[in-house]
Amino acid sequence: MISIRNLSITYETSARSVPAVRDVSLNIPAGKITAIVGESGGGKSSLVYGVLRLLPPEASLSGSILYGGLDVVSASDARVRDFRWEKAALVTQGAMNSLTPVISVGKQIAEVLEVRMGMKRREAADRVGELLEMTGLPAGIARRYPHELSGGQKQRVVIAMAMACSPDFILADEPTSALDVITQAEVIRTLAGMVREKGMGLLLVTHDLPLAASICDRLAVMHRGQIVETGSPRDILDFPSHPHTRALLSAYKVLGGGLS
Amino acid sequence: MRSYWARRAAGAVLVLLLVIAANFFLFRIMPGDAVSSIVDPRFSPEAKERMRELFGLDLPLHSQFFIYVRRMLTFDFGLSFLSQRPVWDEIRSRIPNTIALLGSALLLSSVIGTWLGVHAARKRGGFVEKLVLISGSVSFSFPSFFVQLVLLLLFAYTFPVFPLRGTVSIPMPQGTLNLVLDYIMHMVLPAGSLVLLGFGSWAIYVRNLMVKTLGKDFILLARAKGLSEERILWNHAFRSALPPVLTIFLLALPGIVSGAVITETVFSLHGVGKFLLDSILGHDYPAAGAAFYILGLLTIFSNLVADAAYSIADPRIRVGRRAER
Amino acid sequence: MKSMPRWSFAAFLFILAAGLFGPLLFANGPQSTVAKPFAPPAWMGGEAPPPLSASLSPEQPSLSIDWKWTAPENISIRGTVLFDDSPANASLVWKTPDGKTFILGSFSGSGEWSVDIDARDVAFKTDLGVAPFQSALGLLFPSQGNIRISIEGTSPSSGSLDVTVPGGKWGLLGTDQRGRDVLSLFIAGIRVSLLVGIAATLLASLLGLSIGLASGYLGGVIDSLIMRAVDVLLSIPVLPILMVIVGIWGKGLWQLILILGLFSWMGTARTVRSLALTLRETGYVENLRSIGASPFYILYRHLLPEVLPVLLATISLGVPGAILAEAGLSFLGLSDPRVISWGRMLHEAHGFGAFTAGAWWLILPPGLGISIICLVFLDMGRAIEEMADPRLLKGGRR
Repeated sequence: MISIRNLSITYETSARSVPAVRDVSLNIPAGKITAIVGESGGGKSSLVYGVLRLLPPEASLSGSILYGGLDVVSASDARVRDFRWEKAALVTQGAMNSLTPVISVGKQIAEVLEVRMGMKRREAADRVGELLEMTGLPAGIARRYPHELSGGQKQRVVIAMAMACSPDFILADEPTSALDVITQAEVIRTLAGMVREKGMGLLLVTHDLPLAASICDRLAVMHRGQIVETGSPRDILDFPSHPHTRALLSAYKVLGGGLS
Repeated sequence: MRSYWARRAAGAVLVLLLVIAANFFLFRIMPGDAVSSIVDPRFSPEAKERMRELFGLDLPLHSQFFIYVRRMLTFDFGLSFLSQRPVWDEIRSRIPNTIALLGSALLLSSVIGTWLGVHAARKRGGFVEKLVLISGSVSFSFPSFFVQLVLLLLFAYTFPVFPLRGTVSIPMPQGTLNLVLDYIMHMVLPAGSLVLLGFGSWAIYVRNLMVKTLGKDFILLARAKGLSEERILWNHAFRSALPPVLTIFLLALPGIVSGAVITETVFSLHGVGKFLLDSILGHDYPAAGAAFYILGLLTIFSNLVADAAYSIADPRIRVGRRAER
Repeated sequence: MKSMPRWSFAAFLFILAAGLFGPLLFANGPQSTVAKPFAPPAWMGGEAPPPLSASLSPEQPSLSIDWKWTAPENISIRGTVLFDDSPANASLVWKTPDGKTFILGSFSGSGEWSVDIDARDVAFKTDLGVAPFQSALGLLFPSQGNIRISIEGTSPSSGSLDVTVPGGKWGLLGTDQRGRDVLSLFIAGIRVSLLVGIAATLLASLLGLSIGLASGYLGGVIDSLIMRAVDVLLSIPVLPILMVIVGIWGKGLWQLILILGLFSWMGTARTVRSLALTLRETGYVENLRSIGASPFYILYRHLLPEVLPVLLATISLGVPGAILAEAGLSFLGLSDPRVISWGRMLHEAHGFGAFTAGAWWLILPPGLGISIICLVFLDMGRAIEEMADPRLLKGGRR
């Protein structure tokens, strides 16, 4: 379990300091899907990147992020680096610029295997093929460069990469927001399926409440840097207690989204 | 890939033709008619007749141009007015010096500039970044010959560490090793000054591109993968920034070749650029035209080399666009 | 962060004023000889004598010089005096500290006496009894002490004889290989740099503006042709072309400006074109056209005002290039030798043995002058760029 205790994240610029996350406490249980929903700019992404300590230098963190005996907020760089990917891997908006444009996607996945798992080149290449096939891509795509792939393919590559070290947790930041609706559904089904199959924990951050509710075990609503409501998706959809949750829900109702 | 090379090759041929055409017409708008100005009074009547034939001066202009193109392509530049020797013989002995000067200067300044630029981008506001910003504005506003004159004054006059001029000592040192060492000693100041002048702009470009690249999403993902900073910096960021770096290098090439003329003049190097200047000052038109042409060829050739490097560095060119995103 | 007034604008005005009025500060033109060749600046000359000049005239028929140095390089006495009372009988007498006297010249008759003595003339040496290869100055300045020069005999009624001893040190920045005042040359050089830099860049910008606007506005085949030409011109080394053209066409200042202008419009054309393209895409040009505005009207009243601030920045950023090109050509000796410019000064320093004399004062002032003027224009250009596009200020390009 990753447990976030009283985490605050503030961006200090020369002129002023902007709080992004305010005193958030949240447990991310292993083997379960936890979703955080909320409006854009509400601090969801800061929270995810904060868990991996990947925030820009002008961000300051307080509180603690505990995993086993490790506190990510105060640990040394080397220990945080070990925590990254092997314990908690990141899935970003792969459709955009998440992949290095000048390295073939296979090499980018193999890189993790070689550097983090100490695999030999051959062994890593075979594993890359398996990983790609697990996400529903042909193994031959490993030789391709990002510019040759479609958005959905790139997103699957990013998911395959996250699976590479069989981490305990996957942190997904808006993994589908740049894709068309059909691809979105396919990709999220792939991700949720793989996570359940391997018994990994998933933290899914999205602004898409229906999407989150359809797959998660626990739902948290974030508003202006604070978690305003947590519970099972059923409870939150049926009995929203916070005005922001109600606002989110009604927005989807207006748009005619079926919430079931 | 193929269309990229076709375009590049067509571009190179176009520039080559333009250089030849510029040469052809430039040396025909000289004061006086073509015959009297090209045929120097110092030549004997037979030599004049030979040159008339060689230049095809009695033929119509377009045939003259074709003859001229053929002569340029076969390095047949005629006789020098000044030395009365074939111009190609004169130039051939100077090309290695010019290439050694520019090649070593380019190699060193790109290596130093890249290293500094990458590290400046990595630690914003640090010492390296300040150094890069200062050396960059120095190389943009200090005239090269001024910096070179000061270096000459310092290291050849005040502290006579390096020779004042030329490529070989007089008398010539004995033995191959001594000759090579002597050559290197003569090249240290010219090439070193070009490095000193060049690494700053190189570093600034690399830094700016790296700052931009380090802000990209894929760097964040690479960091999330738990890779070492060195690996992220070089394998991911620098390799991605390399194609635009090469583009800028391509744009800087003509300026670098221009720099050869000045550098060779300051240090009295036996090179093509100094030969061009001496020929212009001595009204030795066949020699000047040939030197200009060779400098043009040098630029075109290095352009092609940089293009090749670009196509290797950027998979978007190497493998083309099989699918739009 | 508030944008503070840039230092470069003040510096530019100062340089402009120095270029316009600076030469007025010097009594003699920059071409006149003031001291011995390669004389170091006065403040570092040490033991060397300062330059001396004095006149013998009816009011002052004798001069007394307190000489405290070793013999100078030269002495010259030149001028004309008139005698009313005829017949006159006068002589020019030199008395050394150890009491010897020399008659440097004498006159008998009436009317005008012209004197033109240079201590290096062989005739003068023979008169004094010195071998032609030896220096007469050791005889005239044998030791330290009081030297007296006087017109003896009949007193002249008018006119004067100028006695000049060129110094071994001079002024703030010493002298060049011809004994000219480097400070005066330096000040005179500002004009050329400013004139060539600004005039050539204006010409280039005008060309670039019209070509860029045409290219961006008309688009199509013309656009791709123009851009192809720009690419080609940008991939040829410009300095050799300039050298060849100047070598063939002549070295005049105006020719140089014209040539520089003709070969540096490409960057501006590119910038203006891309700006015109973005403006075209914003749609309001489209709207203007749909309500029947003529292309000329659109170009003139709508595109030009948008492009102008950017153009001003481009001009300022382009001036250093032109200044450096002019300096480079002059340094290579491809400039009018009669026109004093900083590049020319460096050319002469390089060609006429500034190194063997260790004369740094011939190299540093013009070189630093070029660099500073370039830095000033670069900084002004950046400032204008930021004013024209406030996003740059916040974006923090540097």
